[in-house]
Amino acid sequence: MSHAIETIDLKKNYGSHAAIRGLSITVEPGTVFGLIGPNGAGKTTTLRMLLDVIRPSSGVARVLGETPQAGGPALRRRIGFVPGELRLEGRIRGRALLRHYAEISGQVAPGAVDDLADRLGVDLNREVRKLSKGNKQKLGLIQAFMHRPELLVLDEPTSGLDPLVQREFLTMVREARANGQTILLSSHVLSEIQQTADQVAVLSDGLIVAEGDVAALRLGRIRRVRASFTGIAAAALRQELDHLPTLRDIDIDVTGTEPVRLTATIDGDIDPLVKLLARHSVLDLAVEEPDLEESVLQLYGSSANGRNGEVRHG
Amino acid sequence: MVRVLPVFRRSLGDSWRSLIGWSVGVAAALLLYLPLFPSIGGDGEMQQIIESMPPELVKTLGYEQIASGPGYTQGTFFGLIGFLLLVIAATAWGSAAIAGAEESGQLELTLAHGVSRSQYALESALAVLVKLLWLGLLAAALILALNEPSELDVTVLNVLGASKALVGLAFVSASLALLVGAATGRRSLATAAGAGIAVLGYVFNAIANQVADADWLRALSPYSWAYHEMPLSDGPDWAGLALLWGLGAVFAAAATLLLRRRDIIG
Repeated sequence: MSHAIETIDLKKNYGSHAAIRGLSITVEPGTVFGLIGPNGAGKTTTLRMLLDVIRPSSGVARVLGETPQAGGPALRRRIGFVPGELRLEGRIRGRALLRHYAEISGQVAPGAVDDLADRLGVDLNREVRKLSKGNKQKLGLIQAFMHRPELLVLDEPTSGLDPLVQREFLTMVREARANGQTILLSSHVLSEIQQTADQVAVLSDGLIVAEGDVAALRLGRIRRVRASFTGIAAAALRQELDHLPTLRDIDIDVTGTEPVRLTATIDGDIDPLVKLLARHSVLDLAVEEPDLEESVLQLYGSSANGRNGEVRHG
Repeated sequence: MVRVLPVFRRSLGDSWRSLIGWSVGVAAALLLYLPLFPSIGGDGEMQQIIESMPPELVKTLGYEQIASGPGYTQGTFFGLIGFLLLVIAATAWGSAAIAGAEESGQLELTLAHGVSRSQYALESALAVLVKLLWLGLLAAALILALNEPSELDVTVLNVLGASKALVGLAFVSASLALLVGAATGRRSLATAAGAGIAVLGYVFNAIANQVADADWLRALSPYSWAYHEMPLSDGPDWAGLALLWGLGAVFAAAATLLLRRRDIIG
């Protein structure tokens, strides 16, 4: 079986601005592929090219074995798509809107729309213009999933959804994969990708700066640490911390009064740090995931600056 | 499941309220103007008013024939209020169908489904055309209903001919708005184009009415194609109708080709 999606040196220019600067990815059937990157990295442009909404300046894209342009409407019926900026309006009711999209999609099984609406919790009898952003997003998800397409292309699908619905969405993605459907998911939220994707590519400024399986990518290992202590001098603390090679950007408050405050970035295994901290009297401790943009820049800053062909493989 | 003309049906489903609004407007214009004819047009009083007006104004408004029933109906409705109403409706619908849908982000999602670009453009044009035909038919029916009581003295054939001309004229604006929307994706430009061709046509016709040397301007004026041969009194002008409908068809076809070539940017 061929790839579900394959792009070879795909490029897209808007005038003199290069939005995508040579993108090569392959997505295998029955897997979840996460495309992550900061806003403006080119995720939406990439996904739109796969749907033939916009056309590449050069390079090749193949979706389910065909180029999007040659595949045309018949190919798009086999795909479910959630656009990055879903805007639904008008007096049309949710149910009628979905009926319209069902007519121009693949075959929708009886009851599929109501099942999805129940799961996500959206009232299909309300006028679309009166729905909140989150409820519109649910309609967007329903129209993408309802015909059980071979391929789902989801651009920031959880934006506007509350955490409970986000969790339901992640379940839907896992079920789709279990059905043998392929999912291409873009996000600027790392944890969302980590929980679902088999493979990940990190897009920054129109280029892939890292790709591999989720576990191997080091993105998830960067953490910001904040802690405060009592019963230890700042100098002594610094001396101990300097022995941890994974810790950087160490900043210790040296006012001389208690508590002693520490901020640092850890890139790697967190266990040694926890053990070290545990020897002291900890007043407060926070370990936070930095935002994706920061992680990408910290880890891949050099290759994100435009040198092509230096993709890190996890 | 019904799958015939999905874009067309969605378009009608989304706009039936606006269609009712325009229908009310057309009906109100006819019901206000036409019943006045026997009192002000038929007894020579109107002719005196017209003669007291500057001839340039009379020619611009096309009021030379206003003392006759067909001339009055042409001058008030087909040449003026009906023309305005239908052109505004046509331009609004034409610019909303592609450019408006693109700016609101709807077009991206629709075209990401099993709909081709040509299918979208053609079904959109068809939806606008059907709505305009409805307005034309409604106008014809009301005029014929008022024919006796308002002493208009018009024939069925000629009323239908004039309606065809009016709808054709409006469709030129609608299809140009579609075309510019397909080419640029910008609603403001599409609206400007649809309204612009109607205004230019009207102005060219008005100049040609006044300056004998400028008669060639009629060749460039869809308004002249529609009305110069006075279809309401003299019968349908098939050459003019062919020009109007031909241009509308060319614009719609060009819109289809242009939409196929372009990136859709929401």
